[in-house]
Amino acid sequence: MSERSDDGIMDADDPTGGADTPYTQVAQRHYEPDGHGGLTTAIVHAIAEAEGVSPSEVKSPPLYESVDVPAIEDAFFGPDVSEESLQVTGTVEFQYTDYLVKVRSDGWIQIYEPSEPEQV
Amino acid sequence: MTDKPDSDEELISDASASPDTQLPPRDILDIEPVYEALGHSRRRYLCYTLLEDTEWSLTDLATKIAAWENDVPEHAVTEDQREEVYVSLYHAHVPKLVDEGVITFDDVTETITTAEHAQQVLTALEGIGASLDSNQEQHARGDMDE
Repeated sequence: MSERSDDGIMDADDPTGGADTPYTQVAQRHYEPDGHGGLTTAIVHAIAEAEGVSPSEVKSPPLYESVDVPAIEDAFFGPDVSEESLQVTGTVEFQYTDYLVKVRSDGWIQIYEPSEPEQV
Repeated sequence: MTDKPDSDEELISDASASPDTQLPPRDILDIEPVYEALGHSRRRYLCYTLLEDTEWSLTDLATKIAAWENDVPEHAVTEDQREEVYVSLYHAHVPKLVDEGVITFDDVTETITTAEHAQQVLTALEGIGASLDSNQEQHARGDMDE
């Protein structure tokens, strides 16, 4: 999709870290596993915030087409996740339309969009 | 089934046979969508509503499910409650059921209708619902209170 060649789109663990990172964080939201609503809803709310629309206006495609959200939910927040594994933070990232979505095992959902080269 | 009186024996021998010699009967393969479809309470609720009517708008479904989950009449469902359910239906449960062939979804009108696997899922659900899940079934099959 991107025409940018090898300027390191995915080479950093934290895309906010490198000076030449092509992604900018535009929204984040904390997911509460015990709260009301599932991870899908939380991710869509975060994307809605990034787009500046209401969550029900986030459409095409369904998140289901991009990633297996129940699998992330189970891996990070499921009943079998032990206390020890919560000591380290894992991250799953995937693409939704132009956005890079990161879901961290500490519950933070972060939405990044590609930076405009001219924009600093 | 009736033309295969020895289907149990065939199944046992199939376990070690190569796939192209003899597949399990088609109705065994098709149990998969039943489990996948019924693995979440919102999908079960959606399937219960299909017992009552084969076509639903996504907004009506979201309203009914929110009413059930929050234990309020449909007219008392808040916009936030409806939206929360609507988003999870649109982004997770409806595409899942479309994948399993239980429903079809019209993007433009945002209505769902039953598809080819609906009947076997609903048959299974009726059996489960009668014994384990009857409150949810009754609510799903009840009239909207708006």
